[in-house]
Amino acid sequence: MKKMIALGFEGSANKIGVGVVTLDGNILSNPRHTYITPPGHGFLPRETAHHHLHHILPLVKSALETAKITPKDIDCLCYTKGPGMGAPLQVSAVAVRVLSQIWNKPIVAVNHCVAHIEMGRVVTGADDPVVLYVSGGNTQVIAYSEGRYRIFGETIDIAVGNCLDRFARVLTLSNDPSPGYNIEQLAKEGKLFIELPYVVKGMDVSFSGILSYIEATAEEKLKSNECTPADLCYSLQETLFAMLVEITERAMAHCDKKDVLIVGGVGCNERLQEMMRIMCSERGGRLFATDDRYCIDNGAMIAYTGLLAWAHGISTPLEEVTFTQRFRTDEVHAVWRERI
Amino acid sequence: MAPTASVASDGEAKWEFSCEFEVNYESAKKASIVYNALIIDKELQPDKVKRVMSVSDGKLSIHFEAVEARFLRASFSAFVDVLTLATKTIEEFGQELDF
Repeated sequence: MKKMIALGFEGSANKIGVGVVTLDGNILSNPRHTYITPPGHGFLPRETAHHHLHHILPLVKSALETAKITPKDIDCLCYTKGPGMGAPLQVSAVAVRVLSQIWNKPIVAVNHCVAHIEMGRVVTGADDPVVLYVSGGNTQVIAYSEGRYRIFGETIDIAVGNCLDRFARVLTLSNDPSPGYNIEQLAKEGKLFIELPYVVKGMDVSFSGILSYIEATAEEKLKSNECTPADLCYSLQETLFAMLVEITERAMAHCDKKDVLIVGGVGCNERLQEMMRIMCSERGGRLFATDDRYCIDNGAMIAYTGLLAWAHGISTPLEEVTFTQRFRTDEVHAVWRERI
Repeated sequence: MAPTASVASDGEAKWEFSCEFEVNYESAKKASIVYNALIIDKELQPDKVKRVMSVSDGKLSIHFEAVEARFLRASFSAFVDVLTLATKTIEEFGQELDF
């Protein structure tokens, strides 16, 4: 029997990606392009959408060519319905609506957060872990229970990646390949630990106060040569990641799960992985993590998650191929996780 | 197939700024694919901007009305972006659609 194949589109933030995946999780192609802004600047919806408009069709071509498939081989088209920035999300939605009519293929709408989780599970083989989903737009501790990915803890203001990105702007670090990567490299040279606010509220975390504090501290201490930018990056990473490890550990105790899976763009930070690995080993569990190919937003994760849903009889009629800036992880009924 | 325009309850005078344009695909199929793809997204501020689209004779017609020029400009420019994407997608992948 022919393997089921999906073509997936991701464009909810500053990456546009198109991926081809089979139902067994084999990634046949996964090209993407990142919108990189000058140092000191973030990405804005309109400009990001223009970037995606410019790159999406060449990416479709390249995804099909690399996977050595033609449109005839595709079973379904999958796209990110949300959460994310409106204008960039619209680009994938419009392309999918048109391609679905040209090729006569069904569409499956996918939740971006759930796609990160499923991609992480299939790549690492983690079966039923506590998931820490950390990126520029999201920070959640998640565990599967009774048909849904339940959110056990989350940020009450900005995402951890947003905190890191915005601090990189203060230091005018390069956004290439990503601000978080450059903070991570600089942090390796940090020696002096500067105490920062530590804000864990039960299962939730808060980062905006830490960002304000370190923004003010940076200006003051750098001017008076009390510390280096490297010291600040090091201190910020240690503080933020300790908070994440704490709430992840509490979720593990609550749900009685031993393993942890880290997904999302911040998940490729090796210091975060190292801290989490220590905590897991102390509890007799394992850490599952992936590198930048799968952690960072990509089309294959959307294709794979959409294909799981499609294989369980789910599809999205054309008139419902919409997008939404807010779409919580626990709104999705993960039918493919239910054991029959 | 064409949607009906909703008339503002406080009269037509409010919708002072308008704009009309047409894209000729020379194919009923192609024009309706673009129509179907773009009709799904509603205008974000329906009290400020209205968009009405229709398809006939292989052509897609679009009519905008707005209460202020800046709303018209913003909606028009965002719409043209996605219209261009839909059209390019057909040019790139839909050349066999010839009716």
